[in-house]
Amino acid sequence: MHGWCERKPPEWSTYLSKLVKVTAHSNQQYEGWVFTVDPVSASMVLVTLPEGDRAHVRVVLGHAVESVEVLQEENKGNTLRLASLFLAHGAEALSPEELKKRRQSLRQWIEKNHIPVKEEGEMLRVANVLTISSPYGVDDCSSSNEIILSRVQSLVQSNPEHKH
Amino acid sequence: MKKAPVTVLRLPRGPDPNSRGFDPNSPRFIALCPTSIPSSAGEGACIEEEQRSRSELRERFLRTLIKMSNKPVNFDMYEGVQVRAKFGASDIDVLNFQVSELQTPIGVQKEALLRCHDMISFSFDV
Repeated sequence: MHGWCERKPPEWSTYLSKLVKVTAHSNQQYEGWVFTVDPVSASMVLVTLPEGDRAHVRVVLGHAVESVEVLQEENKGNTLRLASLFLAHGAEALSPEELKKRRQSLRQWIEKNHIPVKEEGEMLRVANVLTISSPYGVDDCSSSNEIILSRVQSLVQSNPEHKH
Repeated sequence: MKKAPVTVLRLPRGPDPNSRGFDPNSPRFIALCPTSIPSSAGEGACIEEEQRSRSELRERFLRTLIKMSNKPVNFDMYEGVQVRAKFGASDIDVLNFQVSELQTPIGVQKEALLRCHDMISFSFDV
């Protein structure tokens, strides 16, 4: 689109959560709900949500966009569904009891492997140099010591209690 | 599409040490890779609003890329070329994508770099 790539972020934001039809190079046309427009490449992320099926995401590169037509305005139900698709990154919401069980199980596993660990509120402090926060997965480990970090991460990964 | 893996092809070198457009000092890279972000000249509130929406839009885009990692993605390129590969990573300017198991008409390329400017769109299932 002449100038699509030169638009400013507030303008691109006006398209969020709207149903659009994008015409791209070679007369390709794509329809979908706008999840975002990348401010670096002006690429449009469109989502189609067939009922009950897996959502399909299409990204149209900014340099290939020729025209954008708004078909439908924002729709609250779809906006929520769009957000949950991307923002939930696969983690199910766990209840406080489940989180406590996970934390305790992980603490026991770490102790079994002869590494000192104690519970500090909702966090686990390992050998005083590493913390593991909720929900106690591999990516929730935090430390400034690379070696200990990688050792504990592989331990978390190999916890026989939490294979998923 | 052939499923047999292909060995990496070594083409004759171009005139530059790192030809084919990936060299950061090449005119192509410099032309495509902006060194500053254009923003509207104006008072503080205007810039602030612009920054806020820029951050929100970019964060959503990064989450899209995260969602795509290690998934099979279909790429629609120019000249009617369509390929499929497992998405690995993107660079910061969305100029190149690292992919694996790229299915091409001559076989499966184990690791490859795709130039984003060669693509019209790409898609994947969530």
